Amino acid sequence: MALPSMASAPRRRPLPASLVWGAGIFAFVLFIAVAGPFLAPFDYDQMNILKRMQAPSAVHWFGTDEFGRDVFSRVLYGARLSIAMGIGATMISLAIGVPLGLIAGYYRGWPEEAIMRGVDVLISIPPIMLGLLILAVTTPSVWKSALAVGVIYVPIMVRLTRSVCLEVMGEEFVEAAKARGERGWYILFSEILPNAWPPIIVETALRVTFAIMLGAALSFLGLGVQPPASDWGLMIAEARPFIHQAPWIAVAPGIALVITVIAINLLGDGLREILDPRMKRDRL
Amino acid sequence: MRKLFLTAALSVALMGGAAPTVLAQNSLVATINANPNNLWPAKATIGEEYNIAVLVYNGLVRITPDLKFEPDLAESWESNEDATVWTFKLRKGVKFHHGKEFKAEDVIKTFELIGSKEVASRAKSHTDLIAKMEAPDDYTVRFTLTEPYGGWAELMIERQLKMVPSDRTLEQLTNEPIGTGPFKFVSYQPGDKVVLEKNPDYFEKGLPKLDRITLRIMPEDAVKIAALQAGDVDLVWNLPLEAIEQFKDTKGITVDQKPTATWDGFVLNNSIPPFNDMRVRQAVYKAIDKRQLVEFAVFGHGAPTHSPIPPTHPFFNKDISFEPDIAGAKKLLAEAGYPKGFKITIHAPAGRPTRERSAVALQQMLKNVGIDAQVERIPYNRWGATISGKVPFYMDGYFARPTLDTSTYPWFHSQGSWNTRMWHYKSERMDAILDKARGTVDPEEQKKLYTEFQKVVVEEVPGVVMYSQNFVTAYKDKLKGYTTHPYLWMDLRTAHFE
Amino acid sequence: MFGYLLQRLLYIFVIVAVMSVLIFWITQIMPGNVAYMILGDFAGMDQILALEQKLGLHDPIHVQYWRWAQGLLQFDLGDSLIMERPIAPILFDAIGNSAILALSSIGLVALVGIWLGVYSAIHHGKAGDHIVSLATYVTLAVPEFFWCVLLIILFVGYLGWFPATGYTSLSEGFFVWAQHLILPVVALVMGLMAHVSRLTRSSMLEVMHSQYVLAARAKGVPEGLVIRRHALRNALLPTITVLAIDVGVLMGGIVVVETIFSYPGLGRLLIFAIQQMDVPLIQACLIVVTIVYAVANLLADILYTFLNPRIRYGSSVNG
Repeated sequence: MALPSMASAPRRRPLPASLVWGAGIFAFVLFIAVAGPFLAPFDYDQMNILKRMQAPSAVHWFGTDEFGRDVFSRVLYGARLSIAMGIGATMISLAIGVPLGLIAGYYRGWPEEAIMRGVDVLISIPPIMLGLLILAVTTPSVWKSALAVGVIYVPIMVRLTRSVCLEVMGEEFVEAAKARGERGWYILFSEILPNAWPPIIVETALRVTFAIMLGAALSFLGLGVQPPASDWGLMIAEARPFIHQAPWIAVAPGIALVITVIAINLLGDGLREILDPRMKRDRL
Repeated sequence: MRKLFLTAALSVALMGGAAPTVLAQNSLVATINANPNNLWPAKATIGEEYNIAVLVYNGLVRITPDLKFEPDLAESWESNEDATVWTFKLRKGVKFHHGKEFKAEDVIKTFELIGSKEVASRAKSHTDLIAKMEAPDDYTVRFTLTEPYGGWAELMIERQLKMVPSDRTLEQLTNEPIGTGPFKFVSYQPGDKVVLEKNPDYFEKGLPKLDRITLRIMPEDAVKIAALQAGDVDLVWNLPLEAIEQFKDTKGITVDQKPTATWDGFVLNNSIPPFNDMRVRQAVYKAIDKRQLVEFAVFGHGAPTHSPIPPTHPFFNKDISFEPDIAGAKKLLAEAGYPKGFKITIHAPAGRPTRERSAVALQQMLKNVGIDAQVERIPYNRWGATISGKVPFYMDGYFARPTLDTSTYPWFHSQGSWNTRMWHYKSERMDAILDKARGTVDPEEQKKLYTEFQKVVVEEVPGVVMYSQNFVTAYKDKLKGYTTHPYLWMDLRTAHFE
Repeated sequence: MFGYLLQRLLYIFVIVAVMSVLIFWITQIMPGNVAYMILGDFAGMDQILALEQKLGLHDPIHVQYWRWAQGLLQFDLGDSLIMERPIAPILFDAIGNSAILALSSIGLVALVGIWLGVYSAIHHGKAGDHIVSLATYVTLAVPEFFWCVLLIILFVGYLGWFPATGYTSLSEGFFVWAQHLILPVVALVMGLMAHVSRLTRSSMLEVMHSQYVLAARAKGVPEGLVIRRHALRNALLPTITVLAIDVGVLMGGIVVVETIFSYPGLGRLLIFAIQQMDVPLIQACLIVVTIVYAVANLLADILYTFLNPRIRYGSSVNG
């Protein structure tokens, strides 16, 4: 990642709190995602009929579910699939979307037409529908969910990148570079991209959260992870019949999901504060 | 002054007029769980559709909630000595909702339609038993059967065998339900609701008591439970068994539970490895604990059983144990060439919670004998085309059938309609028992045969019937004259509000 | 502007046409045999073949597509396989119900979302901004289905304030009707409102630190006018793009919310169709969704162009 603005300014300021908190919590969640199975006090599919639907206690922190399984252990296990799905999907959409968006925004003319019309078609199916359609014709699995979600967000990335690119192109320094007779690629990657990053990064953080949530929603509809494995979406879906009797079964994975998403949002905002040169200028 | 008087009088009149209608609620809102796709009973395949069949139509015979067979559109019936010719005397003066009088021609037309290829009714296996139908007069129908069949009259309670008028086209029958039943069809918004209203000309005098019934389609359990508690609906049909507990302390709501012959089980495909080896099937049977499955899958609201014959039935074989035998199972697996077990996928239908839960529980139980099972949930849409009868191991379950023969023969006889589609189980021993039982009219002999049948089922393990489950409806206390029917339909003829 | 509109309408037509091919093609490869689906478990092979012949399933796929597309052009959506009745009336009922949900939601999202965003941008760094930011952080992180679960636990289970079913017909009275709508709408809008508000805030802040706003301030233009005339107009550009995209997110939300609240709309119909493998019904639902979504995007494009003369289509701004 080229960050000329960071390199040029002598930085001795403390990092923004949101970044610290966001990165901290997110690192913790990542740690859980990786180490969850070793941390879990119980096996995620260990059933015990006598302990069915017990309220949270010292032994079972988040209570037990309809099979008597430990909800806390299941939430820890669920972290892995939920997060892998979110990040994987976003990386897919970022890797495809940003280059296409820049090309469309800068070159205009036929590349823009070609890219944007392709985007028009892809984007004319609302997100969950594309996922539903893909998953309806194939057997559901985590990786297909991630791929479906990733493809869904490509057009959004393209459009955003293009619109930011157009905005930046109106700025004086781009005009200046053009006046200097710089080549297109140079302007695109040295002038426009660094200045286009901030909104893209904010959006990426949003996208990861949206991807985690959409992935969870697909699992919730039974089109992602298969039992007895669990991600948070499926856990909530399976707990629906019990929400009046044993709300903790649904609420615990939900809160885990919410905390993760909040952490990533904080991280995104923190990055935004560091990366946006105009914001910094203002604060100084 | 005069104006004031008038207003007062008016308001008194209004209140007087309004009060009784407020007190006597005459319309009922009930929930059903899935969209009824076919309103014509001949094509019905799910419980929601059977409900409409029972409310809008009549059969020749019906069954009461305490399991007694009684006349419906037939007044009486008799058979010849060897149960091959059955004569039904029809009720006179019964009118269809569009005004036509119900006659023998309608009975014959109904059975012809059900037996026809275009309709492809589930009940075709019943009408295939008919060799000849005659109407000696307008109010008599005579069936000549292809073989002796002692339970023919009882079979008439079957859900698809509802009388439709003979003067309607196929399209009308499909889209505009016309029956003789207590309620008339008003409207149907797919995914939303079915509305029925009182049939004022219903042949049972004074019935039905309700003016209007709305069947709301509400698949989500938590939502319909809340709707009942909030008073949005009056009756929840087929309350999920896991929800019974939470109504324990709720005032004003009755939870009514009945044991039924409706069962869940799993299919082991007898024609492909590893289950073509009887020892492997026996090992699976020995590995599982049906009593635990009842706890896990239906929260104890059911009973373990050996076959579709429920423990409440007098012919239930009490001598067979439910005790699992892990060591025995391991030994059998080793003998069959799987000393370390094997990998297998259990297919479970998504959205059928009792079967999903049993699949997950089975997975754990099979682990004990070294069988490594994966659970895969398949949406019901793909079930028929990709799972049913095609994969080695899947969860399944069926509604209670009208007679012992219809509960057993189709699944366990080598020519049985479900067996040839699902289990591919062939046993001469079994065929002999079922053939003999079908032709027998002597209850003692029947009891002997069906007791033996259950023994063979657990010895040869064509597949496993896990438990028979209870059926529950929950309703407002002020709903009277209604009781939960073990055949899983709502009989609302005498239902009314207090 | 008129030429541009015409061009965009043509685009919509092309997109819908392309999508119709895609939808038709994808639904053709769905597993499961159509004739088998109609006839059920007890159909014989000869019956299946006969029905396939009748439905024209042995024709080449482009012939089948053309037959279907011609029907579409004449507003003939065919019959549902599962229900054996025409799709159009079923679909129109569902669309009507969903439209009520969607319109009240998108309206609420636009109004409250933008207002919150502008509010916190203006009060940047003050208590109000912090409260809004905190609230949007949290709400943004909660997916619709979890909102549904939370709302049902809280407002239906514990408090008993609202009914859990999202639907009654208007004939039962406006109040009852509105009361039933509250929870589904709230579940739908929370996340989107936060999204729109955050985006508006961030672009608003960006614009307010831009050269020309600073210039306007320097010229002594009153702050209120600066915000309304200069900042807001430019800040709303990304918001509008996002709002159009949010219509898509909203449609996804509708699928989930309608399912959970047993609301008889398009989303639930689509899930039903997919679950039942009712291919013509799936195709009809998806085409409708595509058209609605394309129109929403068109509206956003028009608004965007209207607000930002710099990138008006059709004029040559290529530099």
